[in-house]
Amino acid sequence: MSQVLLQLNNWCAGYAGVDVLNSIDLSVNQCEIVALVGSNGAGKTTLLRSLSRTIKGHGEMRFAGRSIYEDTPEKVFENGLVQVPEGRMLFDQMSVQENLLMGAYRRADKAAIKHSLEHVYELFPKMFERRHQRSGSMSGGEQQMCAMGRALMANPKLLLVDEMSLGLAPVIVDQLLEILTTIRQQGITVLLVEQDIYAALEIADRGYVMVTGSITQSGSATELKNDPHIREAYLGL
Amino acid sequence: MKRLLPVLLIGVVGVLIALPWIAGPTLIQFAINALMLATLAQGWNIIGGFAGYASFGNSIFFGLGSYGVAIAMVQWNLPFGVGLAVGVVFSVVFALAMGVPVLRLRGHYFAIATLALSQVMSAIFSNLDIAGRNIGLVLPLLRSDTLFYELSLALLIVATLIVFWLSRSRFGFGLIAIRENEDAAQSMGVNTTRYKVLAFTLAGILSSLAGGIHAYWITFIDPNSAFDLSLNVKMIIMAVFGGPGSVLGPVIGAALLSGVSELLSSTLSSVASLFFGLVIVIAVILMPKGLTDCWLKFPVSRWHYFIHNIRQYRL
Repeated sequence: MSQVLLQLNNWCAGYAGVDVLNSIDLSVNQCEIVALVGSNGAGKTTLLRSLSRTIKGHGEMRFAGRSIYEDTPEKVFENGLVQVPEGRMLFDQMSVQENLLMGAYRRADKAAIKHSLEHVYELFPKMFERRHQRSGSMSGGEQQMCAMGRALMANPKLLLVDEMSLGLAPVIVDQLLEILTTIRQQGITVLLVEQDIYAALEIADRGYVMVTGSITQSGSATELKNDPHIREAYLGL
Repeated sequence: MKRLLPVLLIGVVGVLIALPWIAGPTLIQFAINALMLATLAQGWNIIGGFAGYASFGNSIFFGLGSYGVAIAMVQWNLPFGVGLAVGVVFSVVFALAMGVPVLRLRGHYFAIATLALSQVMSAIFSNLDIAGRNIGLVLPLLRSDTLFYELSLALLIVATLIVFWLSRSRFGFGLIAIRENEDAAQSMGVNTTRYKVLAFTLAGILSSLAGGIHAYWITFIDPNSAFDLSLNVKMIIMAVFGGPGSVLGPVIGAALLSGVSELLSSTLSSVASLFFGLVIVIAVILMPKGLTDCWLKFPVSRWHYFIHNIRQYRL
């Protein structure tokens, strides 16, 4: 349970030589849901980008027991570090099923892919109903489900979920959060990056608070939720 | 219909192979041109139709293929086949060297950059001694339209088979994903840079072979005719008219439009291009997604198909 899956030590990353992230220390244990919260421009997306190796960084980064500092984006993806990108990023003109199959792009075992597809349809029955529909023609919530399903098709160890709640009705966000807890029960670890701090801390085990590129606070979700400073600054309570 | 298609295709190919022994020389000359354009449209289809990168640089490959054959045959006294290989080498080098930086650009910027590159290539070749500077090169004469016809036909068949393979391969699916949403493709583990460059190279090889055959057939090339931008516009029109991203669309588009253009210029001569433009405009309004889409959807929705298109694109 408490085996470390992702470990960042003294991790810095940024754009064009300017560091946005200042020595981040962060760890995610196996089968945990960890929330990374913070306001606009705190560096959350930058951190995710550097995790999926699309931007460079320096420091120590270990995933599933080995350093992934040198890995390419394709390699970390194959190793199970998979993103559900912000704004869904579906292939609009493709059908739902084609989108899901794109998630399994780097996998070769047809039988296993078929099994994953059935599993995703079990998790999202709505996606099964709409499997032949053009993904761009679905509602925002359904598109988010499709994006999550697609990420699951890649057989992830760690799911990086970026701004899942963006532009969605609260009731839909609740449904999606529930699905994340189900996914966790099935052995997939989740790093949930959110501006909607309240929603994220509802389901998370632990949380990190980011402000202008540094982690200012961390602790169990309950601790953070009850922290007077956070209540005041982010929750408006 | 689905089962009939392969039989029909084999029949058409059979007739095409036998054409030089059936038809007269005028028709064969027209057919060589049409086959060449179809091959170019098919090449453009790989980078423009599948990967979604509207390239104006494909005529560069055509020019490099032409110059490959011309330089090899005239300056180095090598056989035609080696010339084709030289052209392919030029094209592959160019595609790898230029593709890596240029394919980082998206949308209009990619189109503009490739457009500029083709002007640059024309300028470079008109200053190269080995390429005959502005005057160009005159190739040895080989009077055998049948040979050129069969060569062009073989090249088109190979090009179409490659696109057919693409349409059902992992590589092709990756290219389609890039067209639909490049960021998403990248986040799904598609190595987008490598795929785009490979698609560009593949398109380049086909265009350069077509250029090589064309140069030997015409027996004369100069920088302006080798790097002719209007040729690039033609391949885009033909591929888009036929249905970009489909297997047979560009071939049918090229055949139909070559026919229409020939028919118009023989009956109307001076105002032919005006009517040719009109045909294109009407085609774009009525079936903006190309012939292939019309072929698939017209039997279902009949003439509503055209009305739907006009409404959807607010024309």
